[in-house]
Amino acid sequence: MRTMKWLVVLLSVIFFCAIEAAPIYAQTTTPTAQTKTFDKRRLMVQPRNADGTVTPPPFLDDPVLWVRDEQQNFYGAMSKSMRAMDSEGFSAALTLMLLSLGYGVFHAAGPGHGKAVVSGWLLATETQLRRGILVAFMSAMLQAAVAVVLVSAVLLLVSGAAAAAKDMVGWLEVASFAMIAAVGAYVLWGGIKAFPLKHKTATLDHHFEIVNPLPTSHSHDHVHGPDCGHAHAPNAKEVDGDWSWKRAATLSFAVGLRPCTGAILVLLFAYSLGIYWAGVVSTFVMGFGTFLTVSAVAALAVYSKQLAQRYTAHDSRWTAWLNFALRFGGGLVILFFAVVLMIASWQGMGDSGF
Amino acid sequence: MRSQLIVSDDGMITGVRVEWKMDKGYTLEALDGLQNTADGNYSAADLQALTEENLDALKDYGYFVYFRSNDEKQPIGKAFDGLQTYDPKDRRLTLLFSVSLEKPLDPRQGPVTLKIYDPEYFIDFGYVDSKPILISKPLSKDCSASLMPIPKDSQLEDTRMMLASKDKAWKPGEDEDYGGLFAQPVEVKCAP
Repeated sequence: MRTMKWLVVLLSVIFFCAIEAAPIYAQTTTPTAQTKTFDKRRLMVQPRNADGTVTPPPFLDDPVLWVRDEQQNFYGAMSKSMRAMDSEGFSAALTLMLLSLGYGVFHAAGPGHGKAVVSGWLLATETQLRRGILVAFMSAMLQAAVAVVLVSAVLLLVSGAAAAAKDMVGWLEVASFAMIAAVGAYVLWGGIKAFPLKHKTATLDHHFEIVNPLPTSHSHDHVHGPDCGHAHAPNAKEVDGDWSWKRAATLSFAVGLRPCTGAILVLLFAYSLGIYWAGVVSTFVMGFGTFLTVSAVAALAVYSKQLAQRYTAHDSRWTAWLNFALRFGGGLVILFFAVVLMIASWQGMGDSGF
Repeated sequence: MRSQLIVSDDGMITGVRVEWKMDKGYTLEALDGLQNTADGNYSAADLQALTEENLDALKDYGYFVYFRSNDEKQPIGKAFDGLQTYDPKDRRLTLLFSVSLEKPLDPRQGPVTLKIYDPEYFIDFGYVDSKPILISKPLSKDCSASLMPIPKDSQLEDTRMMLASKDKAWKPGEDEDYGGLFAQPVEVKCAP
């Protein structure tokens, strides 16, 4: 019963992390507390200090508002240090990098940045956590690299960079969401194939155990048995882990292809101040920050699933169905969000306003 | 939103009274957990407390009110006569308050403009279609106050291209910020 309770708590934590800010604490504040201190979330804008910063509430009082305020402060401090770097040189550049790290961490707590994609993929395909973390790292670094390449190319090729960069981001966004949709469709297909009634033996034996970290040998060396009818279908061992470098690269690519708007702004701003190199380094540091948050969310997802497994370890029929449901549901969720985001960004490109 | 220019007997502009109708999302968050009255409204005391706190925070942002005379930025004082109403049918809050200019402006000495906008674009300010601009007293007979039309997409594109063609040393006009380039101005002009 205790395990069950924890499971519920953990799952709800993931729910609130994956789906955006919801007023969790609103109901729990007592009327007496309200009359004493005014609930700052009711305000149109948060009171500002003389230097333009906002004092966030204690984290436990209102975590959502805390994240929002901290992000605002990091953003303000970042643009301030950008301006200072012009005159102060290296020490200011270092500040910008530290701030970028903080911005990355807080920024990734918002929607996007592949948290849902990486967690969904981990849950749906039985892949080890460290592989998920690797994918998160690869996609964060790729995202930074894409931003640097994109902005550099635009700056090299086009004058009037600010106007042109926006349109290119739009196209990359659509392409990136399309690729995520493809990954979702793939996971969904795997789910359909894992339908318990059809593939009883395969699912019962192989799922819900942590497989060894990498394929034990090169998968190309596998021996074809006498009944090897379809040579190009992945064999049981490969499917079991749902892991290959190629697939991990595809996923990282899909998540990371869309450059973070924050990174683009930092780069363009750094360029306009004539310190482009500091912008490039900061972009990668910012990527590392988002990687930290995405990994933490992925770890939460995996550990709560392991709890669920322990709870149901003895009933293998149940796990087979759960496996099917997770794959099917996970694939469906990834596909759904990707299509919605794709349509939204496609339409967004038509509008000329910000 | 709606803006009422406060005009003195001798045709000077002394300030503005604004009416900001909030969206449903903000209204929901602002009123969450407060006790309803019998008719589905909220107590005047609760609404007043919210108004005071909001005005206190808005002070740090200059109330998002920007007055200019002859293109020169004009300082404003603290807000007063704050009032908040709630419409249970519409489920939206409306905030009203006034701010005074530190010194009254004479539109006959040169055009006076008023812009209300958030430079960080956290809040989207837009004028209502019907009677967006009011005046508390008639202006002198050669003068008129009008809301400049919302810039067309092509004009915004022009502004963007103009910005893109500038180098890093360029700055918007005196004390102006980039957000202000995209805000919808109210202009008081007098025939010479």
